[in-house]
Amino acid sequence: MSFWQKYVFSVDHKVIGMQYLLTGILMGVIGAYMSYVFRMQLAFPGKEVPFFGLVTAAEYNALITNHGSIMIFWFAMPVLIAAFGNFLIPLMIGADDMVFPRINRLSYQIFLLSAVILIVSFFVPGGGFGGAWTAYPPLSAKAEYNLTPWGSSLWLLAVALEFVAFLLGGINFITTLMNSRAKGMKYLDIPIVLWMIVIASILFMASVGPLIAGAIMLLFDQLIGTGFFDPSRGGDPVLWQHLFWFFGHPEVYVVLLPAMGIVAEVMTTFSRKKLFAYKTVLFTTIATGVLSFFVWAHHQFIAGIDPRMANIFTVTTVLISIPIAEMLFVYIATLYGGSIRFTTAMLFALAFLATFLIGGVTGIFLGASGADIYFHDTYFVIAHFHYTFVPIAVIAVFAGIYYWFPKMFGRFMNETLGKIHFWGTFLPFNTIFLPLFFTGAAGDHRRIFTYANFPQLATPGLQDLRIIATVSVVILICFQFLFFWNFFYSMFRGAKAGKNPWNANTLEWVAPSPPPHGNFDVFPEVYRGPYEFSVPGRAQDFWPQNEKA
Amino acid sequence: MLDFMSLLRESASTFARDIDHLIAWVAILGGFWWLIAEGVLVWLIVKFRHKEGVRAQYITGEKKEEMKWIHWPHNLILLCDVAIIIMAINVWYNVKQKLPPADDTIRVIGQQWSWRFVHSGKDGILGTPDDVETVEDLHVQVGKTYHFKLETTDVLHNFSVPVFRLKQDSIPGRVITGWFKPTMTGTFDIQCAEMCGIGHGIMMGRIHVQTPEEYDQWLSTQQKVAQSH
Amino acid sequence: MSQDEGRGERAYKLCTYCHGEQGEGRQDLASPSIAGLPEWYLKAQLTKFSEGARGLHPQDLGGMKMRPMARTLFANQNDIDAVSKYVAGLPRPQLQPTVKGRPIKGQATFQVCVSCHGENAQGNQALNAPPLAGASDWYLVTQLKNFKAGIRGGDPVKDPTGASMRPMATALSPKAMADVVSYINLLHQKQQQQPKQ
Repeated sequence: MSFWQKYVFSVDHKVIGMQYLLTGILMGVIGAYMSYVFRMQLAFPGKEVPFFGLVTAAEYNALITNHGSIMIFWFAMPVLIAAFGNFLIPLMIGADDMVFPRINRLSYQIFLLSAVILIVSFFVPGGGFGGAWTAYPPLSAKAEYNLTPWGSSLWLLAVALEFVAFLLGGINFITTLMNSRAKGMKYLDIPIVLWMIVIASILFMASVGPLIAGAIMLLFDQLIGTGFFDPSRGGDPVLWQHLFWFFGHPEVYVVLLPAMGIVAEVMTTFSRKKLFAYKTVLFTTIATGVLSFFVWAHHQFIAGIDPRMANIFTVTTVLISIPIAEMLFVYIATLYGGSIRFTTAMLFALAFLATFLIGGVTGIFLGASGADIYFHDTYFVIAHFHYTFVPIAVIAVFAGIYYWFPKMFGRFMNETLGKIHFWGTFLPFNTIFLPLFFTGAAGDHRRIFTYANFPQLATPGLQDLRIIATVSVVILICFQFLFFWNFFYSMFRGAKAGKNPWNANTLEWVAPSPPPHGNFDVFPEVYRGPYEFSVPGRAQDFWPQNEKA
Repeated sequence: MLDFMSLLRESASTFARDIDHLIAWVAILGGFWWLIAEGVLVWLIVKFRHKEGVRAQYITGEKKEEMKWIHWPHNLILLCDVAIIIMAINVWYNVKQKLPPADDTIRVIGQQWSWRFVHSGKDGILGTPDDVETVEDLHVQVGKTYHFKLETTDVLHNFSVPVFRLKQDSIPGRVITGWFKPTMTGTFDIQCAEMCGIGHGIMMGRIHVQTPEEYDQWLSTQQKVAQSH
Repeated sequence: MSQDEGRGERAYKLCTYCHGEQGEGRQDLASPSIAGLPEWYLKAQLTKFSEGARGLHPQDLGGMKMRPMARTLFANQNDIDAVSKYVAGLPRPQLQPTVKGRPIKGQATFQVCVSCHGENAQGNQALNAPPLAGASDWYLVTQLKNFKAGIRGGDPVKDPTGASMRPMATALSPKAMADVVSYINLLHQKQQQQPKQ
């Protein structure tokens, strides 16, 4: 096979997963660079930023808008769902590939196209779109308001294409999990990470329809002058907000669930424990998914919706804390009675629990309508959702990469470098966002490119907090170079790993490392659930799913 | 303890205190569970770290006596949630749904990228010739209940006065009514809290909360300027 | 000064979204052409905007847009100087006339303006009079109206130079304003046609 057939136009789910992983990480690097630039502007306003230059108001807006869009749509989604979903689903259910391998390839190609369009939008006249990642009209609908006639349309086009890519991927995931499982694998024998990815795909498919419709309406408003969101012609700008957040809130759980799944696999393996209450996890996941469709308007408490409606959404939003808290408790309970090995992957998985708890608790401030009047659109919100998204999209992803790296490339990553990388990620992450809770509570609003014109906010004390956050961003980014070096060096030079280096139970560890096209020499047969660790009376403390008695 | 929010930012309106109390209660109830969860997590990590020769236990978590460790906290959290919901809705009702009778009304108009305010002037009625229009500077009297009529000429804006704990989006084509009652004199920031274009970050305003005497004095200087035109 | 090399051009990026890459202006955003205006005038107007002598009148919608921008530049005095210098160095753009008036009538009216703005509307720094020839004509009309209504130059304390322009504008009817601006357009066209000496 030529290089092109093998690595570019491959239909092998592992290659496509790897393409998604590397593209996603590349986009993540671009998104991180953006955050570096605008954090520098906030800490040292008006000064030239090294490796960028002077940041103007419009560039600042374009940077924050695209940082948000990239990190959610082009980093979290492709890495968590597409990369891990593609790589893991066939391997963990004992199949040779996805059910629709060509749709899978098409999905990646559309995704890549959308990423290219987004990058191009920075280099057109007027620059990148700067109307926030939520793209509220009328600002996003009219060039005379946003002053980025090309940027806003290209941004919207990229987002719409990206959704199409993930719809195709989602169909594939769901069908594959339902139809291609190894002989003997019952629903309750499926590893929890696959359930999570598939439930997330279902959530995505059920919620994205309104937003695709909305995106096309908004494109029409921009390009051919319709008035769907123009109040002077009978439209309603708030309609967009409903369409956006009806998708936007389930989206949070779309990325959360795969991350929780990855953490479950890593935690059970390295604490040598059965997952506490598998069925409870599964049912609370479904409950969270269903409930997540009834909370979207908490983003719009003060956006001019009927104030009575806020009460209903306060109830549903605060109540969603129940299934989420229950899931986290189950995870914590899994550690009880374990024998915990502190590998790099495990450190990241435990850090996920510790930090996501902060994100969860601070969410209640925002879900409680009365408190949200003050916190809405402040840095408190920023700190809150980064305490959910960074654990999800960065910490859990690192846990997954360190854990499955031996399977992906047949080699280990360096554990010492990995642990340095862990502390260099975990500590600065907290010193970025803990200060932002305080600046937010002191009244710092989002998307403000200089506080010079607000005497109450331009105080030295608040500025110190902003500088702490910015310095932490720089430190965190520096430590990621260590990861990349470790990643690429280990890919070729790392210590060789066998089939099952972590003594885990699930089926991917039955295949050779790295698995060839077609995955398994002999298709495995499944006899038990995925988490039978430390079963009394057995010599080994693990019991692979395919091992007969 | 309950007033820690006012250490971060002055509370200068009647409902600022209510919102601060709600925030404090959420912090107490949420913080309690957060501390417990983090504490248990750290305790388990330390206690059950790998030791040579000690094997992990086999716990399915599906027996009743095991599940009670999940169910009890979860029932108690439900109780806390209900308490938070009741407090939140109560505060929300007082701030956004109830409209106490007004002593005076102001028009607040957002545009890219400035705030315009119409004060009712000496007669206290909007829409009369003695209205005083200003840009960026809003003057109000301490201790009076104000209604505001929020409008925008172009895109979405958000009239936000952090010291009042007040925030409301403005929407083109609509006039949104809200209220506030200042309790503290001084000059405070008004911000725009909804992305409104390249000038969003510098769309500033100032609210001057004044005693009736100061306010009257300001009003008379404004009317002189108006007459000179 | 060497480290400030290029500072004006970089700081001007903030202005390009409304005033255009070359400072040619955009009528739909109420942004006049600014390229090639004298440095002293640009500096004076930016200072007025940031201090609130302009852009604080409720009916001056364009000025209200400009004020926050000027204040941001003003946060760093260097930026005001650098941007004014850079914009003054840009070539004056060739603009299509948009105001329709009767230049012949305008010529008579213009005789009042000559004493400050000069025979060819070239301006006079000693009298704080900016050049008018080659400016965005729609902007000149708006400003005449603003002067007349006291929207600009209404406060002699804050804006003494603007206040001295006010009585001149008060004498003009809307029609006369269009006439005089169309005459200024004509003046500019004639200057362009003359061979350079």
